[in-house]
Amino acid sequence: MRTLIIIPAYNEEGSIAQVIGDIREHAPEVDIVVVNDGSKDRTEAIARDAGAEVITMPFNVGIGGGMQTGYLYAYQNGYDAAVQMDADGQHRAADLPKLLAAIPYSDLVIGSRYVEQTAYRSSATRRVGILFFSKLVSFVTRQRFTDTTSGFRAANRKVIALYANYYPSDYPEVESIVYLKRRGCRLAEVPVEMRSREAGRSSITPLKSVYYMLKVTLSVLMSASRVRVRGVKTSG
Amino acid sequence: MSIYVISIVFSVLFLVAVLELVRRQRLKEQYSLLWILFGVLLLGVSFNVHFLERIAEWLDVKYAPALLFLFGLLFCFAFILHLTLVISKLTGQVLRLTQELAIMKGRHREGEGGIR
Repeated sequence: MRTLIIIPAYNEEGSIAQVIGDIREHAPEVDIVVVNDGSKDRTEAIARDAGAEVITMPFNVGIGGGMQTGYLYAYQNGYDAAVQMDADGQHRAADLPKLLAAIPYSDLVIGSRYVEQTAYRSSATRRVGILFFSKLVSFVTRQRFTDTTSGFRAANRKVIALYANYYPSDYPEVESIVYLKRRGCRLAEVPVEMRSREAGRSSITPLKSVYYMLKVTLSVLMSASRVRVRGVKTSG
Repeated sequence: MSIYVISIVFSVLFLVAVLELVRRQRLKEQYSLLWILFGVLLLGVSFNVHFLERIAEWLDVKYAPALLFLFGLLFCFAFILHLTLVISKLTGQVLRLTQELAIMKGRHREGEGGIR
């Protein structure tokens, strides 16, 4: 199985080399592509030196656009599986085999912090948000999800093609689950450990969180209200 | 039919139209939020006539429904400003894409042995 690890990165010169080294150590057979989303620091050079393929965007396109670039690259280069990982070291490469092992049984495998009790801790507001979206997505998809905001995911060829075709442009994690469910994909969660983010590194400020909640809720409801695509349901 | 009834009917139709456009992926969620906010506010104001009349009295406006128009006009200004911000960003991005593509084309030609 040809596997590609997609790492979207924006100003991550401090952690990107370690993330790539971590993957090389635990999964030497996979290819790595870093989607450098218009970073203003040395992310591109450092990632290249660490041995990853680097795609540099001409300007910052946001997390969704960057991630989709990775899926498009995976699709065009004929990869069988793609795993998305954060560039900040939050996700552990040691969990990669666990995610990939579940791929034959699912189209998308999500690494969840909450399937089992893990050591991961975060702020109260963040936990409320995570819980709200898990309940909302579980309700509209009629499948239990515990960690819909997790950005640690493995996709098979079918999902790579779907994401190359459509991927939400900002705050994509939650909606991208509903999108797949509406297209008849099989989704599963596997428990993973995540490192807590280093202090003050969250991209979501309190001001943005209201917009985040509104935008994602609207996207989820809209995505859920879209009719199933003909043909996919029967073939899946 | 009073302006209030027309207002209510219009805002409901408007909200439905916006949501339908988002559902059909003709309008992106991030650009629909302002329209939805506008629709909901318009609906709220249309329903609560007393509220509108109180504000009209407070602002010394003789004809209360005129406030609806004022409100709509101000929102239009805000939305046009928002649109020009978006266009400015897009202009910059298109320029950068054109530059990158032109440079890439040049490099490509060099790689082919200087064929023009």
